[in-house]
Amino acid sequence: MSEFFAMSGYGKYLWPSFAIGFGIVALNLVLALRALSDAKQQAKRRLEMSP
Amino acid sequence: MNWTWFHRFGSAPYMYGFAQRWTPWFGSAALLLMLIALYGGLVLAPPDYQQKDAFRIVYVHAPSATLSLLIYTTMAVTAAVGLIWRMKVAHAAAAACAPIGAWFTVATLITGSLWGKPMWGTYWAWDPRLTSELVLLFLYFGYMGLRAAIEDPQKADKASAVLAIVGIVNVPIIKYSVNWWNSLHQPATRLLGKADMDWSMVWPLLTMFLAFMLFFGAVLLIRLRAELLRRERGASWVREVLS
Repeated sequence: MSEFFAMSGYGKYLWPSFAIGFGIVALNLVLALRALSDAKQQAKRRLEMSP
Repeated sequence: MNWTWFHRFGSAPYMYGFAQRWTPWFGSAALLLMLIALYGGLVLAPPDYQQKDAFRIVYVHAPSATLSLLIYTTMAVTAAVGLIWRMKVAHAAAAACAPIGAWFTVATLITGSLWGKPMWGTYWAWDPRLTSELVLLFLYFGYMGLRAAIEDPQKADKASAVLAIVGIVNVPIIKYSVNWWNSLHQPATRLLGKADMDWSMVWPLLTMFLAFMLFFGAVLLIRLRAELLRRERGASWVREVLS
């Protein structure tokens, strides 16, 4: 198992690149969902103001 | 040729419903394929004879880099469609592309520099491929900055569309930089036919490419819905959708 994480000595480059790469993937989803929920709330507020 | 489908995609309520229906499919397929590709790339694929296990960075770097270019191309094409056919949905799609593309360009630059250090001995070099990818990031920033700086949405759409279309010239420069100039970066690897890599290394990469594209589809559809709601806040269809 420790051999797997060592990645023939390249683990210190490989794991951060996977963490950052897939971290950005996850962040993209979170930011998009947040943008949608903000847009929904703004639109609802606008509709409440002009019934 | 029947163009009904094209006009249908130009309708904001239709597009909103379409995006809502398809997002879970794109998202779940992307997640499943990502997990399969990760297992294939990190566990099943053998180490490279030269780069050893460092080559596995390709499974996150190459799909991010491909997306950074694909998203820019999508942004420029949708912006052009918006400009030519005055289609608001197309402008909204272009605007939705920009932040996603910028993030994947950041991922490309960081994962590339983490790969560069053990292979080239440096995190960064002012090399044609690296520099043109950095220019791509600035183009995304420029596009988003321009949109944010212009208050009138229609004017913002037009001005940013022109920038996106002009900036497309950078896409072939990035793609062919490794062939046109002397570059530290390796040339494109053939994955099919007379492939440069063994199939056990290729299939997880192709799977990851597909997963990233589906993921882009899912996130684009979510951002497009947000963009459509922002633009059409007062429209009657928004009331129906939100009630």
